[in-house]
Amino acid sequence: MALLNRSDWYDIARDTNWTPKYVTEEELFPKEMSDCFDVPREKWETYDEPYKTSYREYVKVQREKDAGAYSVKAALGRMKFLDSADPGWKSILKLHYGGIALQEYAAGMAEATMARFGRAPGMRNMATFGLLDETRHGQIQLYFPHEYVSKDRQFDWAHKAMHSNDWAAIATRHAFADIMSGRDATSVALMLTFAFETAFTNMQFLGLAADAAEVGDVTFSNLISSIQTDEARHAQIGTPALKILIENGHKEKAQKLVDIAFWRNWRLFAVVTGPSMDYYTPLAKREKSFKEFMVEWIVGQFERNILDIGLDVPWYWDTFLEDLNTTHHGMHLGVWYWRPTVWWDPAAGASPDERDWLEEKYPGWNDTYGKCWDVIIDNIKNGREDLTLPETLPIVCNMNHLPIVGVPGKKWDVRDHYLDYKGRRYHFGSKVDRWVFEQDPDRYAGHQGLIDRFLAGKIQPANLEGALKYMGLQPEDCGKDAHDYAWVWNYNKPDKVAV
Amino acid sequence: MSETAQKLKPLKTWSHLSKNRRRPSEYEIVSVGLHFSTNDPDCAWEQDAGTFMNQWYRDYREGSPVNHEDWDTFRDPDELVYRTYNIIQDGQENYVDGLIKEFDDLEHDQGLQTEWVDALSKLYTPGRYILHGLQMASVYLAKMAPASTITNCATFQAADSLRWLSHIAYRTKQLSLVWPDYGFVDNEKHIWENAPHWQGFRELLEKALIAYDWCETFVAINLVLKPAFDEACLRQLGHAARRFDDSFLGFLTDAQAVDSQRSRRWTSSLVQFLQQNEANQDVLDGWVEKWVPLGDQAIDMFCAALPDSPSAADDAKRDCWSFRAGLGLSA
Repeated sequence: MALLNRSDWYDIARDTNWTPKYVTEEELFPKEMSDCFDVPREKWETYDEPYKTSYREYVKVQREKDAGAYSVKAALGRMKFLDSADPGWKSILKLHYGGIALQEYAAGMAEATMARFGRAPGMRNMATFGLLDETRHGQIQLYFPHEYVSKDRQFDWAHKAMHSNDWAAIATRHAFADIMSGRDATSVALMLTFAFETAFTNMQFLGLAADAAEVGDVTFSNLISSIQTDEARHAQIGTPALKILIENGHKEKAQKLVDIAFWRNWRLFAVVTGPSMDYYTPLAKREKSFKEFMVEWIVGQFERNILDIGLDVPWYWDTFLEDLNTTHHGMHLGVWYWRPTVWWDPAAGASPDERDWLEEKYPGWNDTYGKCWDVIIDNIKNGREDLTLPETLPIVCNMNHLPIVGVPGKKWDVRDHYLDYKGRRYHFGSKVDRWVFEQDPDRYAGHQGLIDRFLAGKIQPANLEGALKYMGLQPEDCGKDAHDYAWVWNYNKPDKVAV
Repeated sequence: MSETAQKLKPLKTWSHLSKNRRRPSEYEIVSVGLHFSTNDPDCAWEQDAGTFMNQWYRDYREGSPVNHEDWDTFRDPDELVYRTYNIIQDGQENYVDGLIKEFDDLEHDQGLQTEWVDALSKLYTPGRYILHGLQMASVYLAKMAPASTITNCATFQAADSLRWLSHIAYRTKQLSLVWPDYGFVDNEKHIWENAPHWQGFRELLEKALIAYDWCETFVAINLVLKPAFDEACLRQLGHAARRFDDSFLGFLTDAQAVDSQRSRRWTSSLVQFLQQNEANQDVLDGWVEKWVPLGDQAIDMFCAALPDSPSAADDAKRDCWSFRAGLGLSA
């Protein structure tokens, strides 16, 4: 008798559903934890995960992956790279680790939701590997930045950020609660694995890896591309679930959940990945613009995925495509202006050469966002840094918890898309954010954003200093201009004044 | 920003570990304090506090009758992290690969006694259902535990369950090829759902899966179901296997017991950690008293079907009892 191949026994390992006798099916799989679509159990029997692996293969391959990532880190003696790295690149690392490490670990808890409450054994097995993967991503993305804390306190935020009330942490937690932590197993499969992991993780883990390789940060490039190989596997949990939902007449509701998740992700990436790629990455090292990466990975690949599976592109697709030209520029301006409120040092990315690049990639940039930077540059040149710093807090969206932004200049179009619900007025940054709220208002209505907390008197003293304290930011943590305004002096304009 | 704020000293590790005043291990750096959902006991996840999921966490984690002043101080005695888990288990799988190859070369399955082949079809291969149930219960514990250091132990326990479920699936197929008339592959579900010797474990498993309080899950699974399974379905089955010249299964159950011993080490640590709060002792004892009769019943029913093993049930129950008694628990 010969030894067996995986395909010889794989189906047996996922033939593990049985009919409960001592408890009820509903007790074992409560609809709200398991499947909000309430598809009958027998319909889930056809679930077939496209990417198959076994435990034996998993521990072998993952051991090798870790050996690769850790040995590259050791061999390259990272501390030296960090000492010489561009401050903008350091900010990308701080933003990335703080925004992502603990959220990846939390994604493991969402994988656990699928591994326990998923209706198909194949989903449960794949999600068990997914739980392991996300444990990896949480742990490795803490281990790598940990060595930097002695050099720079902002790296402490790799662990601290998600525990804090920093506005960026609130926005991130809110988005991921909506697409994974607060959802049932079937919704997690759609919103986390399909809408997020087959689309947006490519941006952060492959797009940014390309920039990292250009910058010479081989360790980081290698780390995040290694992470993406895990994502690419467990991302495929969602596709067969979507297929079953569509076959059983739930296309409309599935479409809605995918549309919600996609929008939540898009807004978050506009503030995290957009500025990283178009402003923080040193100009000479930018492989592509944020928009170009988005067009390649999202508009191209994800649009194909979504149509192949039998869904439509989200109803707001035109709005999204238009937003690709604008939103992240506004978010970047906001983050740079409110720089004391973040745990990284935002790079302005607005030197003359960088403006040329922005104008080329985003025609009209100088006539819009550039006008705001002109004012900032003049203020710095005239010794008025104070005019480039915030004194209070911005209006933030009650859905994405990011500042409400618009296009400055002649096209100035900012508006508050508000909604009154049960006696309270909610403010939204776009009609899509308001639409998301309207789909399930009680999921969001009782939540207080940072500004709501400020107005409710929970932040004392009720000024910026009180807000920084509430957000957990000590003076050494607070962001400042990454290059200490050196970029301003590249402008051949009025006399240089010490800042 | 305050101009008068005192300049902070440089950090040597994460600020939350700085109070320990010693160099942290890799384990501590990457394992401690990873759950931010525990920060607000009324609202685990950043959305309306009234959502079903937030209510679930209030009921079954924050609302648990066990308490501890700082859950994040729990430590896994093995200090396993993801990286080391894979290194260890890849090595363990190499060992099992070697066993599979060696016994395949010996044409071991062809030489099995028919009485024992029949026993395997009834007592061993249907075990994939209980292992999958253990996997489900362990991931639930991982999801709901109040500290990431507990979650990680449960995560690796879930993975271990999937490991042994996979080996049973492999062996089921192998046996079906040599012994096509014994119902291998096709008949396990029927046996799991109907054979009397599995009904004790099935009842215990199904009820444990809906014991949604995180710590009651821990008690039902780690202090009752897993010990009962380990003693009856690994140790006693392994003994019987050797009596029927199936040393292959004996080696496999011994290899599986290595994972179970690791589970018992962190289980013991967590019980001792819970006992730091005296009020938890009564809660633990209450749950143990509630679940142990189901565990004993499961052992009795399973072991009654073990061929040529008259003392198996008593031995298995005694070993479970002594594990719990060693932890100062009531049964």
